[in-house]
Amino acid sequence: MAIATNNRSIQPKPEAAAPPDARAIEVRGLSKTYQSGVEAVKAIDFDVAAGEVFGLLGPNGAGKSTTIGMLTTTIKPTGGSARLAGFDVAAQPLAARSVSSVVFQEPVVDRTLTGRRNLDLHARLWRVEPRLAKARTGELAQTLGLNELLDRPVGSYSGGERRRLEIARALVSQPRVLFLDEPTVGLDPRIRAELLDVIARLRERTEMTILLTTHYLDEAQKLCDRIAIIHQGEIVALDTPAALLAGLGGEIVELRVNGDGQAALESLRARGIADGDGFAVGSTLTLLLHERSAAEAIAAIDGIGLAASSISTRQPTLDDVYLQLTGGRIHEAA
Amino acid sequence: MTAIAPTATLPRRRSPLAAASPLATLARRRFQLTTHTPRELAVPLITPILFALVIAPALKAALHTGTAYESFVATGTIGLLIPLNTMFSGLSVIVDREVGAQRELLAAPIPRPLLVLGNLAVALAVTAFQVLALIGFAAARGIHFHTDPTGIVWFAAAATLFTVGMYGVAETLASRVPKAEEYIARVPAIAIVPWFLAGSLFPIKALPGFLEWFAKFLPLTHGLALVRYGLLGDSTGLHNIWSMSNTTAMATLSLAVVAAFALVLTAISIRVFTRTALR
Repeated sequence: MAIATNNRSIQPKPEAAAPPDARAIEVRGLSKTYQSGVEAVKAIDFDVAAGEVFGLLGPNGAGKSTTIGMLTTTIKPTGGSARLAGFDVAAQPLAARSVSSVVFQEPVVDRTLTGRRNLDLHARLWRVEPRLAKARTGELAQTLGLNELLDRPVGSYSGGERRRLEIARALVSQPRVLFLDEPTVGLDPRIRAELLDVIARLRERTEMTILLTTHYLDEAQKLCDRIAIIHQGEIVALDTPAALLAGLGGEIVELRVNGDGQAALESLRARGIADGDGFAVGSTLTLLLHERSAAEAIAAIDGIGLAASSISTRQPTLDDVYLQLTGGRIHEAA
Repeated sequence: MTAIAPTATLPRRRSPLAAASPLATLARRRFQLTTHTPRELAVPLITPILFALVIAPALKAALHTGTAYESFVATGTIGLLIPLNTMFSGLSVIVDREVGAQRELLAAPIPRPLLVLGNLAVALAVTAFQVLALIGFAAARGIHFHTDPTGIVWFAAAATLFTVGMYGVAETLASRVPKAEEYIARVPAIAIVPWFLAGSLFPIKALPGFLEWFAKFLPLTHGLALVRYGLLGDSTGLHNIWSMSNTTAMATLSLAVVAAFALVLTAISIRVFTRTALR
C-alpha cells in the first residue's frame, strides 16, 4: 500500500513543535480516580517508542480504556502526566490530539451518513488537505476492502465492516500515534481473524506507533512488540511477549484435582513439589518446572497419592503469565 | 512495500476565515445529519401551524374578536416554535453521545466549544426556515402583518437571540440528562409552560398579579413583545412589561434582556458541555 505523504500545507506551529527525539508515548505516574471514588488507574508509568506496537493487556475494568481516554484527552487525569509525540496531553491537548487518532471500543460513527462522509469529516477536522484526503480515502478503501461500502450509510454495515471503516477513518489523518481500544471485541471469530490480519498488515506497513488494548491474549501476542499487563489499575508486568513467557520456563505441568485446588497446591508446596510461583484456579493447578523435568514433577505428584483427574504438560502462554501475576484468568475476569 | 509515514498534522497559523473552517465542518455535519432525519424539520412545525392556522381563527370566531387577534396568535406561535425546535435540536446531542460520533469529535484537534457552536449554527438555520415557513403559511391563510424594514430588524434580532438562548437551554439540558427519555419528559415544562405565561395567546395584563409580575422575567415575554413590535407594529406587549412612553427605549431594553439570555445560556451550555464531555 502506498499512501503519499505531503507535508507542504501542514506546518506545525513553532510553539507547538515537538522535541525531535520525543518518544511517541511517555506516561509518568498517570492516575485517575473517578468522583465515585473508584481508582481506575494508579500511577502507571510506561514509554512507547516511535513505530512500536504496544499492548495494554488486562480484563474489563482493569483501567485500559481509562488510560486511552486520558491519552486522548477525553478523560481528565487526577495525577501524573502523559505526552504524545512530546505534547503534554493536559497542557497541549489540541497538539496532542492532532498527532493521534482513536478507534474506540464501541461504535463511534454517524450511522445515517455514508462511510465516505465519515472519513471526510475526520479528514476535515484533522485538517488534511482535501486532495490528499481523497487520495488516502481511495487507498485505504482499497487496502481495507471498503470500496463497495463507502457510499452506503454506515447504519447498513456489519460489525466487521464498521470496524474496518473506523480503522480507515483513524488512518486518513496519518497519525503518529494510533489508539486501538479493544478493536476486535464483540466480533465473531471469522471477522475477528480478518481484522487481526488487517492490523498485522498495518503494523508491517506503517511507521506509526500503535497502542492497543485487549483482553485477548492471542491478539496481544500476535500483534505487540511489548505488552504491559494491567490489573486493577496497576501495571504488574511490562516486557516483550517472549520475555514474559520466558519467565515461566519452557514447560509447565497442569493438573486437575478432585477437590480444593488451593489446598492441593499448599500440600504440593509443603512437600517441595510446587514452588511459590505455582498457582491454582478452581480445581486446576499450574506448576512451573524451573530446573526440574516434567517427568520428575509428575512422578513426585504420583508419589504422594494426590487425587488428580488429569495431569499434562504444555508450553506456557500469556494466560499463565497473567494468572501468575494476578491470580485470575483474563477471560474469567473479563 | 512502501511505508505510510506518519505526518505531523498540527494546526498551523491560519487566517480568521480559515480558523472558522472546523466550525463550518461541524455545522455541515450537523446539517447533513438533520437532512437525513426530515422529522427534525417537520415535527416542530406542526403544533405552531395548527395554532396559527386553525386555533387562532377558531378563537377569533368563538370569542368574536377582530382580525388583529389572528395576527396576535400567529406571532405568538413563533414563541412556541422556537423552543420546540431548539429542544428537538438538543435531543440530537444526546443521540450523538449515545450512538453517534461525539467521542470522535471530542478526540479531534479542535476547541470543544466549537462542537456546541456548530450545532447552534444549524439550529439557527433550521429555526429560521421554520419561522419563515410559519409566517408564509399564516400570510397565505390571510393573516395580516404590518411591518417595515426597521420592524424586520427588531423581529430578526429578537428571534435570533431568543433562538440562541433557547438552544443554550437545550444543549445544557442535553449535557446534564443521561437519557433521551428523561430529556423528552422535561421538554413540556421548558418549551410549553412559559409559552402560556408569556403573552402568546393573551396579553400578560390578563394574568393574575403574581403571574403577570413573573411573566415579565421570562425572556420569551420580551421576545414575543419584540416580535409583535417588529411584525405587527404593536408595542402593547412592550408597554405591558416596561410601562414607559418611549417605545424604542422599551424595545432596546427588551432586546438587551433577550441578548443577555442568549449570552448567558450559551456560555453555560459551553461550560456544561465541556465539563460533562470530559470525564
